[in-house]
Amino acid sequence: ATEWNVSVWGKRRAFTEHVEKLAELVSAKTDGEFTLNISYGGLSKNKENLDGISIGAFEMAQFCAGYHRDKNPSITVLELPFLGVNTLEEEVAVSHAVYDHPAAQKDLARWNAKLLMTSPMPQYNIVGTGDPRDTVADFKDMRVRATGGIGQAFSAVGAVPTSVTATEAYNAMESGVVDTVAFAQHAHLSFGTINRADWWTANLNPGTVNCPVVVNTDAYDALSGAEREALDSSVDEAIAHYLDNYGALLAKWDQVLEEKGVTKVMMSEEELAKFRTTAADPIREQWIKDMEAQGIPGQELYDLVIKTLTDTRAGN
Amino acid sequence: MAGNAAVLEDGSLISRLDRKLLHVEQVLALLSGLAVFSLMLLAVVSVGGRNALNAPLPGYVDWIEQVMPLIAFMGIAFVQRDGGHIRMDIVIGALRGRALWLFELVSILLILLLMLALVWGSWSHFTRSFDFAAPLWSRDSSIDIGLPIWPAKLLAPVAFSVLCLRLVLQAWGYGRAMVLGLENPPAVPMILDAAEQAAAEAEQLVGHEDDDAMSGQG
Amino acid sequence: MEPIEIGLWVTSFLLVLVVVGMRVAFAAGLAGLVGLIWIFWAKFGYSPDKFGKALTVSVKIAGQVPHSKVSSQALSLIPTFILIGYLAYYAGLTRALFEAAKRWIAWLPGGLAVSTVFATAGFAAVSGASVATSAVFARIAIPEMLAIGYNKRFAAGVVAAAGTLASLIPPSAILVIYAIIVEQDVGKLLLAGFIPGAFSAVVYVLLIVGIAMVFKNVGPPVTGFTWRQRFEALPGALPIVFVVVIIICFVYNPFGGDAWGTPTEGGALGAFVVFCMALWRGMRWGEFKSALLETAKLTVMIFTIIWGVLIYVRFLGFADLPGAFSDWITSLEMSPMVILICILLAYAVLGMFMDAIGMLLLTLPVVYPAVMALNGGESVAAADSAFGMSGPMCAIWFGILVVKMAEFCLITPPIGLNCFVVAGVRDDLSVQDVFRGVMPFFIADGVTIALLVAFPAIVLYLPSLAQ
Ligand code: NA
Ligand code: NA
Repeated sequence: ATEWNVSVWGKRRAFTEHVEKLAELVSAKTDGEFTLNISYGGLSKNKENLDGISIGAFEMAQFCAGYHRDKNPSITVLELPFLGVNTLEEEVAVSHAVYDHPAAQKDLARWNAKLLMTSPMPQYNIVGTGDPRDTVADFKDMRVRATGGIGQAFSAVGAVPTSVTATEAYNAMESGVVDTVAFAQHAHLSFGTINRADWWTANLNPGTVNCPVVVNTDAYDALSGAEREALDSSVDEAIAHYLDNYGALLAKWDQVLEEKGVTKVMMSEEELAKFRTTAADPIREQWIKDMEAQGIPGQELYDLVIKTLTDTRAGN
Repeated sequence: MAGNAAVLEDGSLISRLDRKLLHVEQVLALLSGLAVFSLMLLAVVSVGGRNALNAPLPGYVDWIEQVMPLIAFMGIAFVQRDGGHIRMDIVIGALRGRALWLFELVSILLILLLMLALVWGSWSHFTRSFDFAAPLWSRDSSIDIGLPIWPAKLLAPVAFSVLCLRLVLQAWGYGRAMVLGLENPPAVPMILDAAEQAAAEAEQLVGHEDDDAMSGQG
Repeated sequence: MEPIEIGLWVTSFLLVLVVVGMRVAFAAGLAGLVGLIWIFWAKFGYSPDKFGKALTVSVKIAGQVPHSKVSSQALSLIPTFILIGYLAYYAGLTRALFEAAKRWIAWLPGGLAVSTVFATAGFAAVSGASVATSAVFARIAIPEMLAIGYNKRFAAGVVAAAGTLASLIPPSAILVIYAIIVEQDVGKLLLAGFIPGAFSAVVYVLLIVGIAMVFKNVGPPVTGFTWRQRFEALPGALPIVFVVVIIICFVYNPFGGDAWGTPTEGGALGAFVVFCMALWRGMRWGEFKSALLETAKLTVMIFTIIWGVLIYVRFLGFADLPGAFSDWITSLEMSPMVILICILLAYAVLGMFMDAIGMLLLTLPVVYPAVMALNGGESVAAADSAFGMSGPMCAIWFGILVVKMAEFCLITPPIGLNCFVVAGVRDDLSVQDVFRGVMPFFIADGVTIALLVAFPAIVLYLPSLAQ
């Protein structure tokens, strides 16, 4: 029997449902010969899951690229602001396209890690207090809790990104340390930021974080043919389960907005375009330059994302 | 449970080495203290900047996380020198002479074993975050403003190595006491009973209270 | 061998190391490392050529823990709180507080003792450590009590007991440690300490007044202060008010409206106020340097235990011992309340022999999940829970209870550290004297703990406002 330890963090939630499903499917397909023990934070701190994979402490782990950009520069392409991803299905498509690219695989191979699947996150739209901000000019001097590339994008239009941890986000909003917080919907719900909100940007779609699930390469190679087949063949089904589950949460989201009387802010296409040219373009160009300097094909990765996005939409 | 103890000093080689190492340890511990002070200043800058200029300190959390290892590790050998890491001394406090030194020696050697392993482990944690080929030599960066983390990670093996030196010195001190059958060996912390320890702690506060009185009505 | 059995063996090994006097931080780290090696070697089938691999993996896992765990914003509150306490000595806050309390309330029966309790409670609002608080007040308050004919055992008992207030009333290092270990909101826990801390103080005061009324010679009242004298004593104690207001307002704004910031900022700004006060009072580099060194020593001592224990906790994660323990606890055929009381009693016994921080750090990783499971789980709603409170509220309530237990242990024989410190400060008092004097306060603490268990609202009122 093969037993794998899987390191994720927090509590069981929408964000970990595909891992839970994967464990269920793999065990069923191998009659319990191959099992995944999922540990919520017992084996590692979330920012050190890649280290744990590299050491061989556990065989599978989840992490987010933005937690440590220098550990995984190639896949941070998926966290660039304003990529134009609108749905979770599109997020899955672009993520898996990048994961299949040799540059990303080489990047993760330094950690003895093999990219297995993504944990698609919706766009980090912001909730805020006071009057809705629906023009780029309104973002000036706005204190926003946003990290990484999204933080840089807001900074480019004159907003002030402010450092607070996710757990302090509610407190920070309540105390006026920040005016707005950028999170995915499930996080707005679980960290309670929605309870302080007067409005939510429905179509700003500034970007998101990218959180892959990886496996230890040695452990993967040591699997028997049947076990590997069971694992590989379960990925799509696990992702489908994740999407269903998150879809239900998104449906609930609209209901919550209504109950709490939160305004859905729709920005005009003109304002969005303004935001993109001020914020997204320079950040992307800088990113590509930095990557190429390190010998990572930045332009190629970015083009891959855009092409995949176009293809996915054409396919629908 | 007891922490503080006294370290005897004399003219022997081991005692002279003890004091040399103590100088290094004190400098490192003061660095720890100054780092605590810098936390305070960081908060003042952050809150002040936010409220007065709408310009909060960028990466406030990242900076705190960088300062914390400085606070947590640098004084570790200094505390070990005085026997300041807490322990339960009901059993060991009842021992006398060679039996006591034997227990202390074994305990120190076990700690040394652990710390050598941790120097190795924390060094390897550092090397995973360090790469001469990468920009800023960084293979691991902070979440918000992307500070390289390797300098903070390097502090652990450095401080632990100094602790290992201190442990070698203490092992030597206890071993020597055991072989020579010394009553009051130099360079190792002596167990004080709880009352003596309390007196020592109180004495340390006398200074504070005198300052207190001196500074007026207080 | 199953990981859980390895977990039990290694835990026994750890207890032996601690009992024979190995420094707790390193005993925990060593036990954790040995446990990890064992688990991985077992996983590799105990083959001799795989021992090296098990060793390497385990050492690398353990080697991550120190940096990984101390780099935390929440933990930065601990050194800040300790620094506030040391700076407060230099700012002359202790004597100022006692003087003010004396002029305002010493007219009560047992007046000076009552003043001592109030002044200590006030000082607790800038000091995070109980032992230091007792030491300071032993020097200030005991001489004055003896001068007007107090029973010396009683005077010593008052100071030893009142010192324990420092860890409940925020800032409190030990509450921060609890919050870190159980991964709960630090701000809410600090807030939760206020009322139980003040409540403990009030119970002490009632006890003192009662004793002084029954035994006329125990503590005569002190009268004759004019209103002018009373008001003159206030400015010296003012920084305390600043610090309390800052810390409260940065966690939760009681005046209605928004809080002012985060707990981390509140703690650091509180330290800054006391620092300015100390400078103004004439603190120079020499004194500042020793405040920094003392802060560093205490902080490093605490942090070393934290990461040492967390190496052991990481091993527990691989062995899944906490999971097994809470399964066992919840399978017991006893009411959850009886089990909880047994757990608290176990802490009382353990606390007789162990230091508070070491005790909490060593036990919580296993005990806390069990208590949460007992209540019905981390995210249980109040209506479905065993103790009638939601998961997060149960975490806060249990935290205050164990911290109060740990404080109780500072005054119980045979190793009640506060009592030793008070005896150490006063040449004319033996440890036995202090233990006899502190005896009545056992009853007070027993009553307080029983009430906190019976009426959780005392603990949960403030944090529930900050929801
Ligand atoms: Na306190
Ligand atoms: Na005790």
